[in-house]
Amino acid sequence: MSSQEIVFVVLGIVGLGAAVRLVTARNVVHAALYLVVSLAMVGGTYLVLAAEFVAFVQVLIYVGAIVVLLLFSLMLTRAPIGREALDNQQRGISALVALGILAGLAFLIQDAFRDARIEPDATPTGAVGVSIFQNFVLPFELVSVLLLAALIGAVVLARKDLP
Amino acid sequence: MIAQISPPELDFLPVAPELVLAGGGMAIMLAEAALPRVTSRVLLIASLLIVAGAAGITVALWGWDGEPTVLAGMVATDRFAVLIRGVLLAVAAIGAVYGHHQFDRAGERRPEFFPLLLFATTGMTLIAAASDLILTFLALEILSLSLYVLAGFSRRVTASEASMKYFLLGAFSSAFFLYGVALAYGATGTTSIGGIARALSGPSEGLPLAMVAAALLAVGFSFKVAAVPFHMWTPDVYQGAPTAVVGFMSAATKVAAFAALIRVFNVAFLPLSWDWTPIVGVLAAVTMVVGSLLAIAQTDVKRMLAYSSIAHAGFILTGVMAANQEGIASATFYLVAYALMIVGAFGVVLLVSGDERTSLSSYAGLAVRSPLLAALLSLFLLSLAGIPPTAGFMAKVSVFRAAVDAGHTWVVIVAVLASVVAAFFYLRVIVLVYMKEPEEELQPDRSPLPALTVAVPAVATLVLGVFPGLVFGLLETASIFRW
Repeated sequence: MSSQEIVFVVLGIVGLGAAVRLVTARNVVHAALYLVVSLAMVGGTYLVLAAEFVAFVQVLIYVGAIVVLLLFSLMLTRAPIGREALDNQQRGISALVALGILAGLAFLIQDAFRDARIEPDATPTGAVGVSIFQNFVLPFELVSVLLLAALIGAVVLARKDLP
Repeated sequence: MIAQISPPELDFLPVAPELVLAGGGMAIMLAEAALPRVTSRVLLIASLLIVAGAAGITVALWGWDGEPTVLAGMVATDRFAVLIRGVLLAVAAIGAVYGHHQFDRAGERRPEFFPLLLFATTGMTLIAAASDLILTFLALEILSLSLYVLAGFSRRVTASEASMKYFLLGAFSSAFFLYGVALAYGATGTTSIGGIARALSGPSEGLPLAMVAAALLAVGFSFKVAAVPFHMWTPDVYQGAPTAVVGFMSAATKVAAFAALIRVFNVAFLPLSWDWTPIVGVLAAVTMVVGSLLAIAQTDVKRMLAYSSIAHAGFILTGVMAANQEGIASATFYLVAYALMIVGAFGVVLLVSGDERTSLSSYAGLAVRSPLLAALLSLFLLSLAGIPPTAGFMAKVSVFRAAVDAGHTWVVIVAVLASVVAAFFYLRVIVLVYMKEPEEELQPDRSPLPALTVAVPAVATLVLGVFPGLVFGLLETASIFRW
């Protein structure tokens, strides 16, 4: 095993453990922190694959923004934080769905790649930048218009102080 | 050492109308926040100036002689995009006046209306020019998201319900569309509309996959243009949403979504036209028949116009299924005529049914109370029914001729029968307006500005009915796609 593979296995085991704890944790704040670990391990996997831009974006957006947003919304709303009422009765079905997806993905990836060995091919961050700001500059900018429209919409629908 | 970064060569001129619209929308939003005393009238004038600016650039783009696509193949610069943009901007200007009038009259302060309207228009004009499915999808989402919110712009519960229904079904249709884009990429290795056409015109392994992609994209578009069986949301949303918003979205959404549909099917999937024309034909026939039949049973004028707009989607599809330049030209002419008459008809509804009491019986005797509004309403209904000398008649004739020339006579027979059925419920309203005694509470709105605004599509409907060459002359070059 190359050092790369060893790192990959370690990342995978830690990520898997965190993911299992994420869904079994009884405290929603703990669950959010396990989510940080799990997402960070995915980011680490991207680093092992030499996709450093994707890895940093993963850390910035998922670990940085989304989990923090989750914690903030827990803090600012009256969602139950403690041990009470963080469970519903759908455990069996969700486990079944999760295992089904795992089996499907495993089969598809096994079927598509078989024994092919794919060497990590480093895409320089510069190439990603050129692609975004040259070929996809208009969609890139439009996404922000889309988000702005969604933001206004959320404010309009949520406010109650209408005359 | 800092590496020298050379700025990429990008030509933003062909998307300048969209830049003006989106930038203007943001400016209005900021102005509203910074100047809390700014009145709706000022915002309306600012919005109209922004739309006029975008329209000016659009007119200048008619003479564009550069590349057929710019921004790495994302945006088409052909005259079809220019013509559709012009129609959309006109509808947006009319919609802005309607919205200002409706919220002003109700005493509601809704400054967010104008930015959302401008964002929706950005998405619509962009979708007409999009020559890459990624851009088509993004533009579709921008216009949809803005419209979901606009549809809920009322304190009435039905408006929230309409907004919610529109949102859920719209999200569903977006998923279909996105899956179609993914499969098209899987089949051809590109999302560029021209690239898909090139990949499919040669021998290709991806043909079955491309067929499924075309079907999924058709489902996504059918939701937006309200073609049967994907029309369920239309009557509820049209009835529940504020009339001003419905006037804008009924005309503009259909024009924008059909423009994208025509481009995708007549460029990207043109090599497969033998496979999709029968399916589009069935869709067109079912849409016309169901829309016309269900419209008869309606007792609410907005629901009736909703079913009428469903039926019109079927007539436009009749032109699309010809899959040649004549078909594109006739469908585009139909879109122009339809936009004019439906935006005008909803304008009259806005003026007559002031407090959203839109039952048909309240239109009895309108001619006594307001002869002008009665005449305008009759004109729009006659045009929707397709009776000469209105634009609606010329539009129907041209799509029927295109479909017959392309050998789809059976669809035209169904279409003519559906038109006869449809004429019944339009004429019934006219009879109600002219031959019944007025009800006591009928108090039509006599404000001059919206009445003047409704007169614009009325005059245009008549002019296009008598001189259809005005638009067909433009369509000689505007019905050719460059990619």
